[in-house]
Amino acid sequence: MSLDRSIVRQGIVDALPLFVPAVPFAFVIGLVIVESGISPFVGWSSSWIIFGGAAQLTLISLLGSGAAVAAAITAGLVVNARHLMYSAALAPVFQQQPHWMRWFGPYLLIDQQFALSMLRADDDPKTFRTYYLSSGLLFWALWLITSALGLVVGPVVPEAWNLEFAVSILFLGLIVLGIDRYPKLIAALVGAGVTYLTAGLPNRAGLLVGAFVGILAGTIAERLRE
Amino acid sequence: MTDFLAIVAVGIGTYLSRGIFILALANKKIPDPVLVSLQFVAPAVLGALIVALLIDSGGNVAIGIPEVSAFLVGGAVAYRTRSHIFTLIAGMGVFWLVRALM
Repeated sequence: MSLDRSIVRQGIVDALPLFVPAVPFAFVIGLVIVESGISPFVGWSSSWIIFGGAAQLTLISLLGSGAAVAAAITAGLVVNARHLMYSAALAPVFQQQPHWMRWFGPYLLIDQQFALSMLRADDDPKTFRTYYLSSGLLFWALWLITSALGLVVGPVVPEAWNLEFAVSILFLGLIVLGIDRYPKLIAALVGAGVTYLTAGLPNRAGLLVGAFVGILAGTIAERLRE
Repeated sequence: MTDFLAIVAVGIGTYLSRGIFILALANKKIPDPVLVSLQFVAPAVLGALIVALLIDSGGNVAIGIPEVSAFLVGGAVAYRTRSHIFTLIAGMGVFWLVRALM
């Protein structure tokens, strides 16, 4: 089997600029692991076990802040539920791939990887596979390295800087950049507002209540818009 | 150990959410109402998380002028620049500055 180097190069060239916005996430994950008190290696292993920035930040921040483990896991899973959409959209393309690729491919299916691979959906199966693996493995390697860097820098950062607040700022950025119409703004505001009102619930369970009501509010707003 | 198991649990769930249609349900489609709601998962959960991460051990939301200033400036910078890096720098910069001034 020969590897088409031009396709590999294309995958790498396309993936590199898309990794730039992910750098602060990977870096902050490393910092938050240090602050959370979770063992650094265990925390860092989330980078290859989960391989998803928002879910990693959610899980580690919540575990570190004393939330119930079940609530932290649930929140991490809910954050990543959007991947169901990616999986459904790419399923027809993957039907032409060999078995191993259908098992391995989803592991690399982060947001950026989805955006890139959808543009190559009409490629022949071998070209698609080469491209997908080139960009995906590059994202994966950079992610592991960058989050490890945050881990190294973490202990040097004074606690008084309150770097865990960076997670909230990053999440705010994700919301703002993801809003393409007002029902999403409503979902975010209602999610935040309900969590505020239910903050007194034990184990930060208000987070799940807020998330659920926010999703409901966004769905209703979308219905009304149509 | 608990932390590691929690990571593994989220890892398995994440893999399944990425793989389920590719591996098992290639001929199935997500029903339209579910697809509509899925779009609101990210903004709703992230909005809820921003508040939840500020809850202190007493169950109160520890949000003051530094946090609110940082959210307003960070949100505006995110909107204008579409850049996570600038958002992070602006948000944390304002947070530290306002806190130092108070």
